[in-house]
Amino acid sequence: MNENLLKGYANNNLIWDEMFDSSQIRSAYKNFVAAIEDLSTEQMNHKDDLAKKLFMSQGITFTVYSSGEGIEKIFPFDIIPRIIKADEWKHIESGIKQRLKALNIFLKDIYHQQFIIKDGIIPGKLIYSCPNFLREMMNVDVPFDIYTHVAGIDLIRDDLGEFYVLEDNLRTPSGVSYMLENRGITYRIFPDLLPRNNVRRVKEYPDLLLKNLMMLANAKTSYPTVVLLSPGIYNSAYFEHTSLARLMGIELVEGSDLVVDNHIVYIKTTKGLKQIDVIYRRVDDEFLDPLVFRSDSILGASGIYSAYRKGNVAIVNAMGNGVADDKAVYAYVPEMIKYYLNEEPILKNVPTYQLEIPEYRKMVFEKMNEMVIKRTNESGGYGMLIGNAATEEQIEAFKIAIEADPRNFIAQPIINLSSAPCYINGRLQPRRVDLRPFALYGPNGIDIVPGGLTRVALREGSLVVNSSQGGGSKDTWVLG
Amino acid sequence: MLSRVANSICWIARYMERTNGMLRLLRTNYISSQDEVADFSWHSVLRLYSDLPLKQTEQINNHSPKVLEHLILDTNNTASVCNNIYRSRENARAAQDHITKEVWQCLNDYHHLIRDQQIHNQIRYGDPLTAFDTLIQHGMLYYGTVDSTMARGEGFNYLNIGKFLERAILSADMLNINLTELNNNPRPSTDAVEWRYLLYALSGYELYLKTYQGKFETKNVVEQVLYDGNFPHSVLYCLQQLTRNFERLKEESLPDSYAEMEFLIGKTTNHVKYSNIENAGEKSQQIFLQEIRSELFHIATAFNQFYFGNT
Repeated sequence: MNENLLKGYANNNLIWDEMFDSSQIRSAYKNFVAAIEDLSTEQMNHKDDLAKKLFMSQGITFTVYSSGEGIEKIFPFDIIPRIIKADEWKHIESGIKQRLKALNIFLKDIYHQQFIIKDGIIPGKLIYSCPNFLREMMNVDVPFDIYTHVAGIDLIRDDLGEFYVLEDNLRTPSGVSYMLENRGITYRIFPDLLPRNNVRRVKEYPDLLLKNLMMLANAKTSYPTVVLLSPGIYNSAYFEHTSLARLMGIELVEGSDLVVDNHIVYIKTTKGLKQIDVIYRRVDDEFLDPLVFRSDSILGASGIYSAYRKGNVAIVNAMGNGVADDKAVYAYVPEMIKYYLNEEPILKNVPTYQLEIPEYRKMVFEKMNEMVIKRTNESGGYGMLIGNAATEEQIEAFKIAIEADPRNFIAQPIINLSSAPCYINGRLQPRRVDLRPFALYGPNGIDIVPGGLTRVALREGSLVVNSSQGGGSKDTWVLG
Repeated sequence: MLSRVANSICWIARYMERTNGMLRLLRTNYISSQDEVADFSWHSVLRLYSDLPLKQTEQINNHSPKVLEHLILDTNNTASVCNNIYRSRENARAAQDHITKEVWQCLNDYHHLIRDQQIHNQIRYGDPLTAFDTLIQHGMLYYGTVDSTMARGEGFNYLNIGKFLERAILSADMLNINLTELNNNPRPSTDAVEWRYLLYALSGYELYLKTYQGKFETKNVVEQVLYDGNFPHSVLYCLQQLTRNFERLKEESLPDSYAEMEFLIGKTTNHVKYSNIENAGEKSQQIFLQEIRSELFHIATAFNQFYFGNT
C-alpha cells in the first residue's frame, strides 16, 4: 500500500466529503480506492502526465488569444473520478426532471397568457425588469412547446450531503464535451476500472440530442437539415462545438454561412443555397439577429428571428430563456413547481434574498460576511462577492452598487460545498466540487445521461469552481 | 459542403504543401551551404520567404542558424514554416467536422512538434538536418493520413485541389528562381550543382538520373520539372491531377460555376501541355513561367469566386 497517497487526507467535519465519512471510505469509493491504493507515486504521476498528454495531443484545448497567436490551454483535469451512487442519482434525476418541466411551462406561460403573474405568484415587475426577458417572444409558438431543449443544472451539496440547485442554465450551457472527453481519458488511465465498478455510460448523449433535434422538424420534412451555429474558432467553447457537430454528423456553421430570404434560412454551400430546418445555436440571444437585437453583431444572421417566428426554422434553445434562469427569478422556482405541477420540489433551492426588497437588504447588509452576493445576470463566477473572503473595501463597494441598482443583486447564505479527493502533489487532497448534469428535453420527454460535469475548485480552500477562476474538472461516475 | 468550409479545407492542403516544399528547399540549401561554405548566401531564399527589410537580410545572409531560425521558427515572419503549420491547423479547426479525427490530430501534433524545444535546439545549436528530417517525416505522415482515412468525397477533392495547385506554383517558382540565378551570374561550372539541388528539393533527383543518365543540362531539368507525367512535382502532372479532382466535383457544383472553372483549368493545362519551352532561351523560359504562374493564381481566385463565395 502506498502510504503517501491517503496520508493526512484532512477531513473537515464541517464539510461533506464525497469519499470519506469521518474516517471511513464511503461504499461508492471502496472499489476504486482498493484499485489505486497500491500504486506507487511514480505510477500515479505517470497517469497524471498521460492524462495531460492525451488532452494536448487530441486537441481538447481552448485557445487564449493574446499577442496575435493563440496559446493552447487544457481545461485542468483531475484524474480521480467523482463517484455517485445509484440511489443518489435517482434522486438527482427525478429532481431535475421535475424542475425542468416546471421551468418549461413557466416559459410558455410567461410568453403567452402569464397566469403565474395574474395569480400573484411572481411579481410582474420582476419579470419585466429582467434584461433577458424578450418582448419579441410574446405569443411566439415554439415547436412542441419546448423551450429548454438542452439544460445544464448546477448542483451543490451542503455539509449534510443534501443536494441543492445552485443555478439553472437554460440558455447555452456548455461543458458536455468535457463530460464525454473526461470519460474517454479515464478508461485509458485506469484500464478495466469502469466495467469493474459498473459505471453507467454517457456516450449516448450526442445520439439523444440529434434525435431530439431531428424530431423538431419532422412535421415538415423527413430529411431535415440540422446545423450547429457557433460563434467561430475564437470562442472558448469552440472545441465543444466541433466535437458535438462531429459526433452528431451535422454541419458546423457560423453566422457568415447563413442567409435569410423570404423568411427561410439557408446556408451557403459550394452548390448554392441550401435550406436548413433546425439550428442548434451556441450563440446568445442578443447576437442572433442584428435586425432585432444587437445591430453590431456578425455572429447571427439578419432575418433569422422572423423566420423563427414564422415557424420556418426551429431554434434550440428557444430565444428568451434567460428570463427563467435569472438569479432573482430563481428564488421563485419552488413556487413554480407547486403552482404548475402541484408537487413538492424534490431538489432544494439555496435560500435566496432579492435585494430589491428593503427588509432583505437590511438583513443582508448586517451580516455580509455570511453571504454570497451575486449579480442576477452574470455567470462564469464573475460579478460575485463571497462575504467571508472579501475585504472591507470590497464589501463597501458592493453595498454602494447594490443601493444603486438593487434589482440586479441577490444574496445567498454561503454554502459549504462538498469536497472530493484530487490528486495533487503526489497525494490525495480534498477540493470543493459541484455537479452539472445535462438534461435533454425532447418531444418524447426528458432524458438525462447518467453523469455530468463535475467541476472542482483546484485552489485550496476556494469555493469557486468556474474554469475562468482556477477551476478544473473530473470524470463523473454514476454507478449502476 | 459549406463554401467557407471548402475554402478552409483547400487552405489546409495549400499550407501543408507549402510547408513541405519550404522544408525541402531549406534542407537542400542547408546541405549546399555546408558544401561550399566560402561563398554561400541565403539571399534568394530569404527574398522569397522573409518579409525582413533588405538591410536586415544582409546581416544574417551568411549565418545559416540565424537564417533557419528566422525562416522556420520566427512567428513574426509571416511566411515562416511554423506560421504555415499554425495556419493550416487554424483552418483545420474551422473545418474539423469535415476532415477525419486522424487528420486533425496529425495537424495538431505537427503544431505541437514545431513548438518542441528539442527541435528548436537542434535548429539553433545542433544538427538542423535532424530537425528537418523529423519535420519532413511528420509532413509525410500527414499525406499518408489524408490518403488512408479521408472519404473520397468533396473534402478529399478540395484537399487535393489545394495540394496540386500549390505544388504547381511551388515547382514553377523554384524553377524560375534557379533560371534567374543562372541568368544573373552565369557560372557554367557550378551549373550542375544548382540543378542537382533543385531536383533534390523536388524529390526528383533519382528520377532524373534514370531518365537522363546523369547528364545535367538546363533543357532536361526544365523538361522534367514542367512536362514529365511520371514526376509528381512536375507542373503538368499537378495540373492533370487538379483537373481530375476538379471533375469529381461536378455533381456537387452549380453548372455555371463548373463550366467557368473547367474552362480555366483546361486552358492552363493545355498551355503547358502544348508548349515546348525546354528548347527556348532562358529569357523566354522565364516569361513562360511567369505566365503559368499568373494563370495558376487566376485559377485560385476563380475558386474563391465560384466555389468559396468570396466575391
